Amino acid sequence: MKRVARALVVVLALGLVAGRPQTAPPADALPTATPIKHLVIIFDENISFDHYFATYPVAQNPRGEPAFVALPGTPGVNGLAGRLLTNNPNRTNPENRELASNPFRLDRTQAATSDQSHDYSDEQLAYDRGAADLFPRHTGRGLPGGTSAFYTPSVVMGYYDGNTVTALWNYAQHFAMSDNAYADDYGPSAPGAISLVSGQTNGFVVGKSVDSTDWVHDGQGGLTLISDAGPSLDICSDSLYYLNQGTMTGRNIGDLLNDAGISWGWFQGGFDLTLRTAGGQGCGRTTASHIALRTSADYIPHHEPFQYYRSTANRLHLRPASVSAIGQSGDPANHQYDVRDFFAAVRAGNFPAVAFLKPQAFQDGHAGYSDPLDEQTFLVETINFLEQQPDWSTTAVIVLYDDSDGWYDHQMAPVGNGSFDPGRDFLTGVGACGVRGTTPQLGGVAGTGPVNGRCGPGTRQPFLVISPWARPNDVDHTLIIQSSVLRFIEDNWLASRRVGGGSYDATAGSIESLFDFTGPARVAPLFLNDSLGTPVRTPSGRLPG
Amino acid sequence: MSPLGRAGWAVVPAVLAAAVAGGWAARRVPAGVNPHPVRLVRPARAPLSVMAQIGRDLFSDPALSPSGALSCASCHSPAHAYGPPEHPPAPGARAIPSLRYVDRIPSFGIGPDAPEQDGPTVGPVPRAGAGNAAPAAGSATSAVALVPRGGLFWDGRAATLQGQAMGPLFNPREMANRDTAALESRLAARYGARLREVFGEEVLRDRRLLLDEAVFAITRFEIEDPSFHPYNSKYDAYLEGRARLTRAEARGLALFDDPARGNCASCHLDRPGPGGRPPVFSDYEYEALGVTPDDPDQGLCGPLRTDLAGRRDLCGMFRTPSLRNAATRTAFFHDARIRTLAGAVAAYAVPAVRRAAQVGRLSQGDRADIVAFLKTLTDGYF
Repeated sequence: MKRVARALVVVLALGLVAGRPQTAPPADALPTATPIKHLVIIFDENISFDHYFATYPVAQNPRGEPAFVALPGTPGVNGLAGRLLTNNPNRTNPENRELASNPFRLDRTQAATSDQSHDYSDEQLAYDRGAADLFPRHTGRGLPGGTSAFYTPSVVMGYYDGNTVTALWNYAQHFAMSDNAYADDYGPSAPGAISLVSGQTNGFVVGKSVDSTDWVHDGQGGLTLISDAGPSLDICSDSLYYLNQGTMTGRNIGDLLNDAGISWGWFQGGFDLTLRTAGGQGCGRTTASHIALRTSADYIPHHEPFQYYRSTANRLHLRPASVSAIGQSGDPANHQYDVRDFFAAVRAGNFPAVAFLKPQAFQDGHAGYSDPLDEQTFLVETINFLEQQPDWSTTAVIVLYDDSDGWYDHQMAPVGNGSFDPGRDFLTGVGACGVRGTTPQLGGVAGTGPVNGRCGPGTRQPFLVISPWARPNDVDHTLIIQSSVLRFIEDNWLASRRVGGGSYDATAGSIESLFDFTGPARVAPLFLNDSLGTPVRTPSGRLPG
Repeated sequence: MSPLGRAGWAVVPAVLAAAVAGGWAARRVPAGVNPHPVRLVRPARAPLSVMAQIGRDLFSDPALSPSGALSCASCHSPAHAYGPPEHPPAPGARAIPSLRYVDRIPSFGIGPDAPEQDGPTVGPVPRAGAGNAAPAAGSATSAVALVPRGGLFWDGRAATLQGQAMGPLFNPREMANRDTAALESRLAARYGARLREVFGEEVLRDRRLLLDEAVFAITRFEIEDPSFHPYNSKYDAYLEGRARLTRAEARGLALFDDPARGNCASCHLDRPGPGGRPPVFSDYEYEALGVTPDDPDQGLCGPLRTDLAGRRDLCGMFRTPSLRNAATRTAFFHDARIRTLAGAVAAYAVPAVRRAAQVGRLSQGDRADIVAFLKTLTDGYF
């Protein structure tokens, strides 16, 4: 690796001498508060912490499946054990009626499952004032999923172990993981994605609509987005039949990075409408999964948060002028790209400072149309690739999720931000998430007083840091949320400048305890098999997309 | 989907274009040989999982019926492409379908017609207020024709293979389990220890879960075992340029494809799909072929299927079956009204059926050629 890096430096130097365009990643030259010069945020879909890590680090290890045996000294997590497994409150609460069930293991052959309800109100009701005992009743109302999917009426209580999510378990015991990370708020994908990049779901403006179920009146004359209205500023929202659409006002991290001249991009599978694959072309391009045995659209507009903001949208999905323009302002793509563009840019030596990655839908992990094995392929191929880059020594990968899908998780966070919409808030009572006058309640995007529709932190979800600078084989317990990533970007590149306007970035916990910046970087790369998730000496070299 | 497979299929249009432009390529190929051979990409082979091994044993275990006489394999005979044997021991209300290639049937939906697609068009449209990324079925504009497609059973009423496998277990005309408790007890006694190896103690504590896991194991056998999707018929060999059709077979294929003659391929798709996926000979859509309003079984609109009872426009419609291994069958159409392959082809000469299927006029010789071609769809050629 070192020799390769030195050779590259020589090549780059020659390039400069010959007067060719500069190919050294400009991100390397930017001043940062930590040794991290490249942050890669892989934003996957719809997993609760217990759904992937309930029994970590102990797996069932049936014959024929990739085995997982924890390294000595691997710490445990706040997962499921004892009575939570054998006499769970979701089994004993009679309100679940015939759906009452203990948690149970999902096998690797059950990677494809049905999807659960991850509605803002349903998730609050499932947590039942903190008892976390009404998941079967309120979120366990799955759509059927593909024909090969496993189904049982209480499937919401199912969890995988290291025989299915093998790669994530291996990354967890090699790098660092949090078992106390939450969504900013309750609710599904679009609010999760928008909050990741702005810390704020207030400031929604309706574009077109057939009903008003995707937002709440915030109590200050504005709207807060709580569901998956599509982005009006995306040509694919119409062709994919989004009946409710709208835009976001306010600022996002892209605006702040642009002001500071820092390279960044959102890279999403299916975004390049010019690309023709076996699954077609345009907004409706698809990919067939041989795991889930079904075909999914590659691109999902409401998973692309920057398409909701006028300042950062790329409505027509215009292509970057060149590979060297990726990550830069003043380009038609306006920082919005296909996931393939990320690999092309990094390979060309143009590794942006901040990169958000969203796989093609069939690999994003979302039950119903994706699955943990297809998700694993994306994660492993991407991380193997990054670990072989000369810039790996200054790179951190964060794997986190937009929402929990409604999958069971036993740990509710104390309410940090209250909301009191009479029709949609139920966490601590009808019309209540928190105690009015006591629970803090942040203001709206327009500098207004406290706004409704932001009941949070939401559901608990996996959160991993994969980096030479990660605390090795560590499980961190600091309470963090999606906006903690926003805060890290601001602290590292922007001298702790904040989005403001009621954004969670001002109050979110710090993720720095998942890192160890005191000494030299000390964690070696971990190459994994992209279909099994088990360690390998030499990675396959395959890339997603 | 391997990159090689993708590339292999991608060259086909180029070859085709060259052939058309040059006007000579087709003439150089001997008659009956595919002038544009393709590389078919079959499902990867891997050792059966523990679940699929359990499913294999369950599939042929007569203890699944209270009589102790019937297993899944009694009606889905492995020797008959998992279709009916000549004398099925327990005929249900309808013709016993083949379980071969069921792994390719997409989920049920009513959406835009998309014949090139191998699965449902999954437009990730959020269900209003539900926070789910749901299929686009039924949400398209009125300008687009919406057609029913996919799902298990002749009427698509089962959403999953698991739901399909559950059906015969409790059908009084088939395996005839009367209550779940007795079946669960037999399953626990015979398979409990093996299921515990996969799922731990909970699967023994929760009998309903045990039943669902056991039935799911059967579906894993269907999905994983190569005997359910061999794609090794003479036609597959022909597609790959490894076999030569006889004159009758080649004429039959031409009639099968010709929209003005057989027009069969408009529903029984016979070209490889994206990524070199072998054709299954079905578009998974629904047709009403000769079902009269007084027939007791109206398919999509009931009475077995109940959720579309109000949709009079869907009455009499049944899902187009795969034609692979049709020559090994002795029960054709949903009601098994025809007993021979030649009879099934001849049924399309009945005026009402001919109009519904838009079949042209076919001579007796034409029909014989189509039958000859259909016999190339029998697995086990190589």
